[in-house]
Amino acid sequence: MNPYTSVIITLSLIMGPLLTMSSNHWIMAWTGLEISTLAIIPLIAKQHHPRAIEAATKYFLTQATASTLILFSSIMNAWTLGQWDITQMSNNTPCMILTTALAIKLGLAPFHFWLPEVLQGTTTMTALILTTWQKLAPLSLLVMTSQSLNTPLMLTLGLTSTLIGGWYGLNQTQLRKIMASSSIAHLGWMTTILTLSPKLTLLTFYTYIIMTSTTFLMIKTLETNMISVMMTSWTKLPTLNTMMMLTLMSLAGLPPLTGFTPKWLILQELTKQHMFIMAAAMALISLLSLFFYLRISYYTTITLPPNSTNYLQQWRHKTNKKLYLATMTTLSITLLPITPTLLTIP
Amino acid sequence: MALSFKLLDSVFLSRRCHRQNALHPLLGPLLTDCISKLYSSYRRPGTSPDNTPPWKMNFSFEKGVDVIKKNFGLLKKELVDHWKGPEGYHFDEYLLQQTRVVWEFRSQKDLDEWVVSSDAEIGGKSETYLKLGKNNQTALLYGTLSTEVPRDGETRYSGYCSMKTKLPKGAFGTKKYYDWSNFNSLYLRIRGDGRPWMINIYTNPYFSHQKDDLYNYFMFTRGGPYWQEIKIPFSKFFLSSRGRIQDEQYPLWLDKISTVGFTLGDKADGPFQLEIDFIGLLKDRAHTEEFAYEKYEKNPQA
Repeated sequence: MNPYTSVIITLSLIMGPLLTMSSNHWIMAWTGLEISTLAIIPLIAKQHHPRAIEAATKYFLTQATASTLILFSSIMNAWTLGQWDITQMSNNTPCMILTTALAIKLGLAPFHFWLPEVLQGTTTMTALILTTWQKLAPLSLLVMTSQSLNTPLMLTLGLTSTLIGGWYGLNQTQLRKIMASSSIAHLGWMTTILTLSPKLTLLTFYTYIIMTSTTFLMIKTLETNMISVMMTSWTKLPTLNTMMMLTLMSLAGLPPLTGFTPKWLILQELTKQHMFIMAAAMALISLLSLFFYLRISYYTTITLPPNSTNYLQQWRHKTNKKLYLATMTTLSITLLPITPTLLTIP
Repeated sequence: MALSFKLLDSVFLSRRCHRQNALHPLLGPLLTDCISKLYSSYRRPGTSPDNTPPWKMNFSFEKGVDVIKKNFGLLKKELVDHWKGPEGYHFDEYLLQQTRVVWEFRSQKDLDEWVVSSDAEIGGKSETYLKLGKNNQTALLYGTLSTEVPRDGETRYSGYCSMKTKLPKGAFGTKKYYDWSNFNSLYLRIRGDGRPWMINIYTNPYFSHQKDDLYNYFMFTRGGPYWQEIKIPFSKFFLSSRGRIQDEQYPLWLDKISTVGFTLGDKADGPFQLEIDFIGLLKDRAHTEEFAYEKYEKNPQA
């Protein structure tokens, strides 16, 4: 890409969510959202493959619709209350529209249809940006308005997302689509606890970013996109193979790995609020996600020779070990013992 | 967005029936003949445009109930198949498959999955027929090609025949795709008459801007009494749109395939015949090419 273009796109991409997160006025928040949407469109369509163009178009249409709805709800709020403060939403129609719009932005069920298609149509790194950085802005808006949002609605969205995220990933062989379903499921957990304890939403989000980034970077290092190719990619970096299994188990939320922390704390909070059935349902439904994570781990790590595979043994290129990958892997696996410290993060 | 398409479609209804990838939520099942004007409907060159108003419809309640029952049955089957595994196969079996027979011709039901067309649609003189071969083991596509141009003042070329699969539809008319990402070659067992055919793979894209995108490659038949086994790697397919080969070539992505078709258009008048035993997929481990075409820089600076 032209260096001028990449500088502009990178700066806009960084600035957009930061603008949204640091704003008090709805118009500035909306501006930040629009900047980040527009900045990532050329990245998605960088390759001009028909599927990449399709992914970019789908992304643009869904995000533009959501931004319009956010603007509409903020204008409606300003009309009724006379002020544009994000934290002062009134508890009625604007909140409902805002919730819908942010659900579309994030890819929460039942507005999740665009996410797997968009992630599948782009490269691995762009998919990483879409699932991590692009979620910052809408989630920060959700957290800022969490006191005005409708709790039953958030619980419904959360439960549906966890269910659909788990269900969708069951038959996928494409890794990016699996990560999309993982994203939907994790966002479901975040949404469930939003109105009850926004701090836990943020904690879940931070751990989700670390684990998802680790997984995507591992997928990029191994240069695979399908489970059948993962079966023979252990030859490239055997240590990475083992770490991948642990990272996937962390994504699934198994103790004693990092991913267990948010799930445990969310279940505890739900129980404190006397929502036992909700907590039980969430725990049971996340078994679906666990199934496909286990499946990937099985095909990646456990199917070693002399098991039959369906892909040729891959060439071992020069191993490009990256320090940041090692750091992120460590973070995504070993943070459970410092849970009390994590609770102090705002 | 899909909902707005469905609503638009239920508004634009007319008499002739040619369903595209659209959904008729409220009135659809009740209508006997319906057209979707979402992707602009085909107008045969030389004919006047069809201006029948949308309120002239034929209602049929029984047919509507049948269609609703059929769709719910399909939905239930889809949910059960989702539980079973990708494409209805168990996951292990799906991952380890190296060959798969996708289409074979053993009964009229298998033939019904295919659509045969020729330039008779635009007023040409070619004829194409599809029938089961001897002992119901093969499909025989035969007919006569005629390059005589129809005299409608618009058409300049003529003389083609084709056979392609129907678009796979899920419950309620949703698009369904084949996932062939585990394979890398198309395997055909055919017996032709020496004519060159073109194989077209359509990926049925989401947006209508790309609806004419087709991936093509050639199939040269040998003629003669012996069966010919042709293996065409998917890396050889080139991208064309509305018949024009594109400058920007991209490989065929195998995770969303919709239809496969054969076309004959070799400008030779006369009878033709193609007998197909089966069409399958193959994972050829010896074939490591990812894409056969490189992109050269257009207008290079000296």
